[in-house]
Amino acid sequence: MRIHVELMGPLVDYLPEAQSGQTSQSLRDGATVADLLNELNIKRKVVVAVNDDEEKELEHVLVDGDEVLVFTVISGG
Amino acid sequence: MSYGYTGKILHVNLTTSKITIEKPEEKFYRTYMGGSAMGMHYVLKETPAGVDALSPENVLALCTGVVTGTPISGQSRLTSVAKSPLTGCIGDAQGGGYFPAEMKFSGFDAVIIKGKSPKPVYLWMHHGEAELKDAGHLWGMTTGDTEDKLKLELEDKRIEVLQIGPAGENLVRFAALISMSNRANGRTGMGAVMGSKNLKAVVVRGKQKPTIADPVRFKELQKLGTANLEPTGMDGFGKYGTPGVTTPQNKSGGLPTYNFNSGNFDKHEEIDGIKLYKEHLRGHERNEQNRFGRDTCFSCSVKCKRVTQIDEGPFKTDAKYGGPEYETLATFGSYCGISDMDAIIRANALCNMHGMDTISCGATISWAMECWEEGKLTLEDTGGIELKYGSGEAMVKMTELIAKREGFGKILAEGSKKAAEIIGRGTEDYLITSKGQEAPAHMPQVKRSLSVIYATNPFGADHESSEHDPAYKAYPERMEQIGLTNPQEKLALNEEMMRFAMVTQHLSSAVDSLSVCAFIFGVSFQLYDAKQLAEVLNAVTGWDTDVTEILAVGERRLNMLRAFNSREGIGRESDTLPKKMFKRPLEGGRSDGYVLDEKEWEAALEDYYRLCDWNVETGHPSLKKLESLGLGWVVVENEALSKVVS
Repeated sequence: MRIHVELMGPLVDYLPEAQSGQTSQSLRDGATVADLLNELNIKRKVVVAVNDDEEKELEHVLVDGDEVLVFTVISGG
Repeated sequence: MSYGYTGKILHVNLTTSKITIEKPEEKFYRTYMGGSAMGMHYVLKETPAGVDALSPENVLALCTGVVTGTPISGQSRLTSVAKSPLTGCIGDAQGGGYFPAEMKFSGFDAVIIKGKSPKPVYLWMHHGEAELKDAGHLWGMTTGDTEDKLKLELEDKRIEVLQIGPAGENLVRFAALISMSNRANGRTGMGAVMGSKNLKAVVVRGKQKPTIADPVRFKELQKLGTANLEPTGMDGFGKYGTPGVTTPQNKSGGLPTYNFNSGNFDKHEEIDGIKLYKEHLRGHERNEQNRFGRDTCFSCSVKCKRVTQIDEGPFKTDAKYGGPEYETLATFGSYCGISDMDAIIRANALCNMHGMDTISCGATISWAMECWEEGKLTLEDTGGIELKYGSGEAMVKMTELIAKREGFGKILAEGSKKAAEIIGRGTEDYLITSKGQEAPAHMPQVKRSLSVIYATNPFGADHESSEHDPAYKAYPERMEQIGLTNPQEKLALNEEMMRFAMVTQHLSSAVDSLSVCAFIFGVSFQLYDAKQLAEVLNAVTGWDTDVTEILAVGERRLNMLRAFNSREGIGRESDTLPKKMFKRPLEGGRSDGYVLDEKEWEAALEDYYRLCDWNVETGHPSLKKLESLGLGWVVVENEALSKVVS
């Protein structure tokens, strides 16, 4: 299946070749959020929103065509 | 033998020119740990009730913490406290860089300043000694020029300078203290307090490095910081700085736009941290921005500061004035509907040059822009400047006028709340202030625990006083360290979120008393967690503290701030949010339609008071709470306070 991924803020560095941290990622059917992060080599804490919805846990199962936003949690500035 | 701290507090009376040195016992340091709590000790002891913030009787305390100056990331911070000329409540501002460490090296933990010098002076603290020197030739100079002059005059390029610029001299109500010409103790107008005292600068130099009690354990903790850089993502934070959160904030519907009327700025990518890094940091043309476009604080490996330079054009800027943080990109950018990065960089530089808080300055201008757009201001009011949303030119021009208190800048220099009182015409409807301090770039409509923090925080709306809502769910192991184990759903505004707000507020308060960096020590994204903070503290001082004791110091500091306000007769009635947050739903983007419910918010407010053990009707801390924190003396020594606490 294919998932549209957008990495936000400093996470863009995990997709150095992509435009603005966006890519179409191929995953096995039944892959979870954790599998996606593993594929992207993201080991740090992040927040993941799927299809503009509430943040999802690592165990959440993705489906073909899902739009996934990956955030860092940084306050202040 | 004192470990970490020098054991010396400098007291300066500018009226009499008398300088004395106090040597408190170890217990004093352990009770307050430095920074804000230590400063509040002196403000509560030495200012009379009802003190005028710009009078000689106001006390300005500049305090480092017990670990400041030790060679580890995130310790070089200094807190300034005094009554605020912006809010009329207690004022409090932190700043970093190299000045705090150097002040420790000069032989002093803190300097407590009272009175007013008959003529401009600067305080020279060096190698265990201190003296006042004439500053008449520096008065009126911008920060960069002042620093250059002082280095020549004192024949030492390695002095560190904490100063006011012309804005502080002109008593702009949100004037800042500036070090290195680009680091700010920004908020609440501490620069105006210093200006009112005719004190141009505090200059420090020394070689007295703090003694560390357990150097072996300390070295392990240093190495832990380096090892933590990648797993915490702080390497990425260092690379893009706080500006890296601009686009994520927008995506979550929380980038304040058009004076807080929206959380979505369609041009956010023009002003975000990735663009700043790639196209605006010094050295970007040769791909050398990591080397020339970033800077750091004493001993910090994160290196999150920005350096920008514009060589020509209307927004020409010198690199010595640094580069914008996220807050600055928002307040001079999206708050004003501006997508011109060069204009924002120039405004940031003007604030560093003249010594002003970028948050209050940008947000005061965005308030004025909304007034303009709503037809409440005319060209006659603004001296011919069209204060339209989106005009970088108008924004930059107004920033200069505010610093100089010229034209319409004379009114805006009062801060937006007082400006609204002066102008009238219903302009108070557009304010985004709490206690008269303009809201920073994190939106209570989106991160709801901030709705109570902004309203109740003793020094006004502040985003660095607690953790933000998403952190509760995202960092369960770290949150557990401070007893938070029940994360709530997004947008919840209930008792558990008030507990989250209060407990993380206690930790932030401790961080501001230890005077360490909130990006390095904390219970969410930071390099070190709360337990590791206790370990660093113990390794330096030889004490056996733990997270519980650290939180108690934070609660003590928060209650000292609150007690000051109570003494001044300020209680629940001042714990308010801008009207528009209840009346005007946000427009566009992910937070379209978001608005706060007044009844729900009031219930949360009262939950928060109960959790804090503050009187629900008056908002004043209970006597029992103050005494439990060792603050009974504050009530005894402040008659006005004893009349309102019970």
